[in-house]
Amino acid sequence: MKKLNETQLQELEQDLNAIRDEVLADLGERDARYIRRIIRLHRTLEIGGRVMMPFGFIPPVFLAATASLGVAKILENMEIGHNVMHGQYDWMNDPNLHSQTYEWDTVCTADSWRRTHNYEHHTYTNVIGKDRDYGYAVLRLSDEDEWKPWHSLQFINYILLSVLFQWGVGLHELESEKLRRREIRWRDKLPFLKDFARKGGRQAFKDYVFFPLLTLPVAPIVLAGNIGANLIRNLWSSTVIFCGHFTQDAETFSEAECEGESKGHWYLRQLTGSSNFTGGRWLHILSGHLSYQVEHHVFPDLPAHRYPEISEKVQAVCLKHGIPYNTGSFARQYGTVLNQIFRYSLPDRVRTRLEGRSAPQAI
Amino acid sequence: MLARVTQSKTIHWLGRQLSNQDNPESWLDPVLAKINPMWVQAYTPARVEQVIQETADTRTFVLRPARRWTGFRAGQHVNICTEIDGVRRNRTFSLSSSPLLWETQGLVTLTIKRLPGGLVTNWLHDRVVPGQVIGLGEAFGEFLIPEPAQPVLFIAGGSGITPVVSQLETMAAQDYPAPVTLLYFVRTHRDVIAGEKLRALASRHSTLTVQVIATNESEEPRFLRGEDLDGIANLKSREVYLCGPKGLMDLAGDLLHQRGVTDDRIHSTFFAPPAPAQLEGTELGGQVTFANSDVQVGSKGDANLLEIAEAAGLTPQYGCRMGICHQCSCRKTSGTVINRLTGQVSGAGEENVQLCISVPRGPVSVDV
Ligand code: FES
Repeated sequence: MKKLNETQLQELEQDLNAIRDEVLADLGERDARYIRRIIRLHRTLEIGGRVMMPFGFIPPVFLAATASLGVAKILENMEIGHNVMHGQYDWMNDPNLHSQTYEWDTVCTADSWRRTHNYEHHTYTNVIGKDRDYGYAVLRLSDEDEWKPWHSLQFINYILLSVLFQWGVGLHELESEKLRRREIRWRDKLPFLKDFARKGGRQAFKDYVFFPLLTLPVAPIVLAGNIGANLIRNLWSSTVIFCGHFTQDAETFSEAECEGESKGHWYLRQLTGSSNFTGGRWLHILSGHLSYQVEHHVFPDLPAHRYPEISEKVQAVCLKHGIPYNTGSFARQYGTVLNQIFRYSLPDRVRTRLEGRSAPQAI
Repeated sequence: MLARVTQSKTIHWLGRQLSNQDNPESWLDPVLAKINPMWVQAYTPARVEQVIQETADTRTFVLRPARRWTGFRAGQHVNICTEIDGVRRNRTFSLSSSPLLWETQGLVTLTIKRLPGGLVTNWLHDRVVPGQVIGLGEAFGEFLIPEPAQPVLFIAGGSGITPVVSQLETMAAQDYPAPVTLLYFVRTHRDVIAGEKLRALASRHSTLTVQVIATNESEEPRFLRGEDLDGIANLKSREVYLCGPKGLMDLAGDLLHQRGVTDDRIHSTFFAPPAPAQLEGTELGGQVTFANSDVQVGSKGDANLLEIAEAAGLTPQYGCRMGICHQCSCRKTSGTVINRLTGQVSGAGEENVQLCISVPRGPVSVDV
C-alpha cells in the first residue's frame, strides 16, 4: 500500500469527507425518485416473469420469462437490497427501505449479511485473516495465504461457488474453515444455522415448490425457469463481486498494518483495495453500482446511483495524493480475476517460474 | 380490497414468504402510488378535498380517507405521513371534526397552525392543494368525552382548541345533558380558530358556555386567573380537559389543585409545539429512555447513544462505531439528537438514527 504520513492521511480524510458532505447535503427528492423507479421496475419484471413462466412451453416465452425473473432478482439483490441494507436510504425514513429491517430475495439472511458484509468486510476490507470475503475462505488469491495441494483445484471451486453463489453467501457466516480447524464448535453456530434454514427454506419453497405447484400441469417448466433465473443472478452477482476486490491490482493488507488505524488510513485502504469497471448505464445499474466499487467502499452509505457523479472527484483526490485508482473495462478486469484464480492455484515455485521472476522473499 | 385479503393469517404468511417483507401488503406500493395514490397500502391514503383559511396562520384541511380507515372518537389524534424532499415525515395532529362527519360523509378535518420554523406545518400550508394525497394512521388517544355524561370544563389555548371543537360538536349532536364550559385563550381575537362554529354551537345549546379570553390585547398579559375558575358552577364535580401550551396547562393545573379538583378529574393532552431546531445548540446530553429494556439514564456532554446504552449495561447491536456500517441504527421515538458527523440536529418525532454517532440534546427515547 502506498505510504502516506499522518498529515497526508489527515488531508486525504478531509478531501474525501468534503465529497461526502456535499452529497449528503444534496440528498432528497431525486434520490427517492430514483430508488422508487428501480423498485417499480423490479416489481414489474418479477410479476411479468412469474406470469409468463407457465406459458414457457413456447420457447421464446420461456426465455423471456426466465430472463425477466433473473433480471428482477439481480436488480433486487444488487441495486435495491445490497444498497438499502448499507443504509443508503435510511434518511428517507421509509420503513420498507430501512437498513435494519430490509430482507432481500436471496438465501442469505439480512441479519447475517449485515454482520459479515456491512461490518466485517467493510471494516476490514482486504485485510487477510480478517476480511473473510477475500476469497470467501475457498479461494487462495494472495501470497499471504499459504499454498495447499487442494488449491490446485480452485478453478473448479470457483465455478461451483459462482453457480451456487447465493447458498455460499448464505453459509458464509458458518465459518466452515474455523469449524474444520476446530477453532469454533458447531454448537456455537446453531442460532445461525436455524436462521439460515428458515431463510433458505423460504427461498426454496417460493421458487421450487410454491410457484411450480401453483401451475401444476406445467410445473417442470416453471421449476426449470425459476432455477434458470436463480442461476443467472448467481453467476452475474458473483462475477461483479469478484471484480470488486480480486483483480490483479487490488491490494491486500496485513493485520499488523491496520492495527489502530486512523480514519484517513481506513480511507486509503478502501481506495487501494477496491477495483472498478467501466461500462454503460445499465451495466452499472445491474451491478448495483458495484462497478464503482472504489466509491462504494469509501462511501458505503451514500446512495449508489450517485457514484458515477462523484467518481471524477474521487479520481482527482487519488491523483492529488498519488494513489492508484484501479479501473478498466469489464472484460479486462474480469480477465485479471480469472488469471489471479488460476495463478494462485499453482504452487509458488511453479508460478514464479512461469512468470519468470524470483520468488517472493519469505517474511 | 387487498387490505381485506391480507387479514387472513395464511395469506399474510404466504405473502411474507413470497415478498420477504413483514408487511407484504405494501410490496406493490411503489407501483400503486404511480397508478393511483389512493391505492397505497402502507398507510391509509387521504385525499385533500378542501383547504380553509381559519386565521392568518391556521388552516383547516378537509380530507377524504380511503374507506378502510377505521374512524375515531372525538378528542383523538392521528399521525399523518407526508414525503418532503424525499424524506417521509410523520407528525401527530388532533382531528378537529366530529366523528359524525366521517360516518355520514366520509370526511375528516385537521386544523393546523403554522409553526415558526416548523418543517411539516409550513409544508402543509405552502404546498398542499386540493387533490393531493397524504397518509393517515389509525386514530389514538385517551382525551375522550366522559361517559356517562358529566359536567365538563374545557380549558384550551391557541391551536389546542382543535380536539375540543371535535368534542363540542359531538356533544352538541348528542344533546349532551350536562353543563359544559369552555375557556378559550387566544393571543388576540384575530387568532380565534373556529370562532363561527363555537358561536353557533353556544347559541344553539343552552348548556354550553363559551368564553374567549385574549391574552395579549391589554398592556398586561391576561392569563388564566383564579376568578375565571371561581365563576364556574360546581367546579369540583366537573371533568376538566386541558389542551394548549405547556405554560397554560401548568398554570391551570395549579389553580385547579388549589380549588380541590383532584388529578383523576383532570385530563390533558400535550399540544406544545416543539421548539424550532437550533443548529448551534451547545447544550448536549439529557435523559435517555431505552424503551425496550425499560432503562432510563441521564447523560452529560457529547457521549453518544451507543456509549450511553453500554454504560447502562445494555448491549445494542453495533459494528464499526464510526458511522459506516449502520449496524447500530434503531428507532428514535421522541426527542432530538445531534449527528456527530454532520452536526445536524434531528427532528423531534419518530425516525431512525445511528446510535454510535447520535448525541442526545435533551430527553430522548429510543427503541433499544
Ligand atoms: S456501529 Fe457502525 S454505524 Fe454505528
